[in-house]
Amino acid sequence: MKKIAIVLGAALLAGCVGPNPYVTPVEDRSNRQATTPPPPGSLESVDPSPGVSVQPIEDVPVFRPQREALPESETLNVAPTDIPVSEPRNAAVVALLDSASQNTQGGDLRAAQSSLERALRIAPRDPQVYYQLADVQRRLGQFMQAEQVALKGVNVANGQPAELRRLWSLIALIRSDAGNSAGARAAQQEASRY
Amino acid sequence: MSKKRNSRKNSRSRKASRSWIRALLGPLLKLLLVLTVIAAVGLIYLDAQVRDKFEGKRWALPAKVYARPLELYPGQQLSAEDFRLELKGLGYRTVSAVSHPGSAHWSAGRVQLVTRGFPFPDGAEPSRKMTLDFGRAGLERIRDESGRSLSLVRMEPILIGGIYPQDNEDRDLIRLEDAPAMLPAALIAVEDRNYYSHHGISLKGIARAMWVNFRAGQFVQGGSTLTQQLIKNFYLTDERTLARKLLEMPMAVLLDLHYSKEEILEAYLNEVYLGQSGARAIHGFGMGSQYYFGRPVAELDVAQVALLAGLVKGPSYYDPRRHPQRALSRRNLVLRLLRDQNRISDEEYELAKAEPLGVVEQRSLQKGAYPAYLDLVKRQLRQEYREEDLSSEGLRVFTALDPLVQARAERAQETTLEQLEKRYGKSAEGLEASMVVTDPQTGEILTVIGGRDSRYEGFNRALDALRPIGSLVKPAIYLTALEQGYTLASRLQDEAFKLELPNGDIWAPDNFDHRSHGEVPLHYSLSHSFNQSTARLGLTIGVDKVIDMLERLGVERELKPYPSLLLGAQALSPLEVASVYQTLAANGFRVPLRAIRAVTDAEGQELSRYPFALRQQVEPALVHLIQYAMQEVAREGTAQYAYSQLPQNLNIAGKTGTSNDQRDSWFAGFTGNRLAVVWVGRDDNAKLPFTGSGGALRVWTDYMRREHPEPFYATRPEGVEYVWIDDATGLLSDQRCEGSRQLPFINGTVPRDSVDCGQLRRRNNPLDWFRGWFQ
Repeated sequence: MKKIAIVLGAALLAGCVGPNPYVTPVEDRSNRQATTPPPPGSLESVDPSPGVSVQPIEDVPVFRPQREALPESETLNVAPTDIPVSEPRNAAVVALLDSASQNTQGGDLRAAQSSLERALRIAPRDPQVYYQLADVQRRLGQFMQAEQVALKGVNVANGQPAELRRLWSLIALIRSDAGNSAGARAAQQEASRY
Repeated sequence: MSKKRNSRKNSRSRKASRSWIRALLGPLLKLLLVLTVIAAVGLIYLDAQVRDKFEGKRWALPAKVYARPLELYPGQQLSAEDFRLELKGLGYRTVSAVSHPGSAHWSAGRVQLVTRGFPFPDGAEPSRKMTLDFGRAGLERIRDESGRSLSLVRMEPILIGGIYPQDNEDRDLIRLEDAPAMLPAALIAVEDRNYYSHHGISLKGIARAMWVNFRAGQFVQGGSTLTQQLIKNFYLTDERTLARKLLEMPMAVLLDLHYSKEEILEAYLNEVYLGQSGARAIHGFGMGSQYYFGRPVAELDVAQVALLAGLVKGPSYYDPRRHPQRALSRRNLVLRLLRDQNRISDEEYELAKAEPLGVVEQRSLQKGAYPAYLDLVKRQLRQEYREEDLSSEGLRVFTALDPLVQARAERAQETTLEQLEKRYGKSAEGLEASMVVTDPQTGEILTVIGGRDSRYEGFNRALDALRPIGSLVKPAIYLTALEQGYTLASRLQDEAFKLELPNGDIWAPDNFDHRSHGEVPLHYSLSHSFNQSTARLGLTIGVDKVIDMLERLGVERELKPYPSLLLGAQALSPLEVASVYQTLAANGFRVPLRAIRAVTDAEGQELSRYPFALRQQVEPALVHLIQYAMQEVAREGTAQYAYSQLPQNLNIAGKTGTSNDQRDSWFAGFTGNRLAVVWVGRDDNAKLPFTGSGGALRVWTDYMRREHPEPFYATRPEGVEYVWIDDATGLLSDQRCEGSRQLPFINGTVPRDSVDCGQLRRRNNPLDWFRGWFQ
């Protein structure tokens, strides 16, 4: 009895909550009216397996035995990587970043962009590459791309406060260059968190 | 002037006083006059033509398409073997002591080489003599000639193809000074001995040719001068008519009159026909050298030069690949002529004669090795350039193709399909496959394989084979659910159900093992690819929401909102699948997949560039969660096979896919720096004896085994916390409790209630010793 109620409830829920999964074509509407019971889109459970009946947790606590040894992180099946692997910057990347800086200073933004893309292929997890690339795009007036690249930089700079601060400040600058002062303030706020 | 002569002739004929002659002569002379005028006009016209064509644009230059240049830097994961392969692709000679560009000397773990240098759009890379040291970790050190360390060097890129004009003529222009000095010498020796002394045509030459032929007892020399041959190829059609023969001589004289011998010779070097590769006609010594020896003409030795010069007379008859014996004796004849004319010494002659032909196998040529990738490049170029510009302006197209990646992917596909056929016998006959490999960080397409024969220039399955993607769609559904507030620990019902479709059909999804699994955690349902729970979930959150997610992830095709989409009835190409998975690999930033980096004109001036661009489409925190579940696919789910072959620390994230009735076998997955999508199936759409994990995953795994990719590091984004969850109930648990696993949650979505294994009590809790009794 209870089981049926659960199944029915689930079916009803699925039918109601789920938006109609079809973008119903016009010619189908008549068809739909013709076949009223059951309306398409509603699930009809067949042969519900006896399955596991779940105890309401509020009432009955679930007990588990304790492990004899704690699982080591290496034996974890899927482990999160909390600490970003910050390898020392490769000399090749240093050279490319340097020449990009010089080109940027000298106003040759295209050349800077080329060097930075080479750097990106070698070190795609280096926040500095994204920082400089976003700055070059900002100077080229490509504000939307500049912001996106900087955001990607934020993504790779995870856990590196100094880099995050610089990147968010840059985003603030990009936004204010693009005339979005509210966004710039929000980004500055973000920068001050680090 | 002609009138004067006329009257003089008239007076002479009067003396003859034969009336019928006079009667005939008058009109004849008039006719002669008219003919002379016509001839003069004709000559002027010919002259104009000769000059116009010679000075104007002479050749349609095919666009050149280049692979990515290999960047060399200390610390790079590049094995000596990889570098050897790259040099082979570039046609470097292995020598005992390096001296010239394009030569390399190998000794254990070390290579000394002279690069050729290359004018890149962002600056020229000079030719360098350098030494590379390889170690266990890869490239360890680069030193220049004086022993100084270099931090970054760019090799010249491999030419992988061209875009040819209507007549399919392929050529690579060279200047006379680029050609080895022996090349013009050999041509002159064998084709036109008096080239520098005649005026376009040579009666002496004709006489000499007859004499040489007579003495040799065979047809060795033709009577035409090089100038005439050029005229023939350059201005006239292939028809062997008398009119053409008559035009050839005056045009040759005119050409000789207007231009220097050097200019004419240079034009000849670039015009002459040297062979045929399928529909592609090989013209000029620049391309000829690449086609037969796989290296620039400047790097050819005497024997090779002699072979090419000998080919001019009959590229098909003397084809060194099809008729090596004929080619060899022809080459040696050229060498003998060079010796007889004192262009080479007796010693040089003997050495050169002893050389093998040295022609590279056609299959080893880089040009023609990447038809599927080139197809993609051309389609993209045609959106922006006119066809005639592509095939005639000598554009340079710089792509991201990585020949090393392609070689590994090809090998993996080849050997795995052979194994599958061996294993499944008749039911696995006629398998086809295709692959796309990208760099998940930059969005560059590293290789595209369009079918089992990767050199076949036909149906490109990677772009054009639209196949139902099966369970590859699932990550998009689960990501949609996560965005709507589900967690990885949410409980799903894996139960059978029926759904009546608007057309009256009944849809009743079944699981692969034909069983329902009851209540399952969301992450488990994805990693084990359950259909019933996925379909229920998809219907609950809405097919239109899933479609919206697929579009955000990268599908551009119009998607039909049928419920069957939830189980992957939607057909996509491997390239489209790659663009979806690319966004998942790049933490929710959609990067348009790029094959072309830049296009320049023939002089290296940049015409267009395709910079790194991206757009955040999904919250990185949500993508982190789905990446977790996709890693579970390989750790515990349907793609466990991968770890039987690959290192445990690789953190593979991916998804298997099998279409209805097992007609398509898919795997899409990524590591830190490689994303690969593999499809295996049949062109006639017949059933396969294996699933996604039995077929495509094996190709994928074998490819990654050869690639040695970087591990995938899913760094925890802000706003995500990892907590211990009880597998069986989805309740909060603890590291110390059995049956628990760590799962990532968006902050604030962690379940509140917890199982109890005593973790909530303090360590010195009296219950601890009590529990100890039961352990």
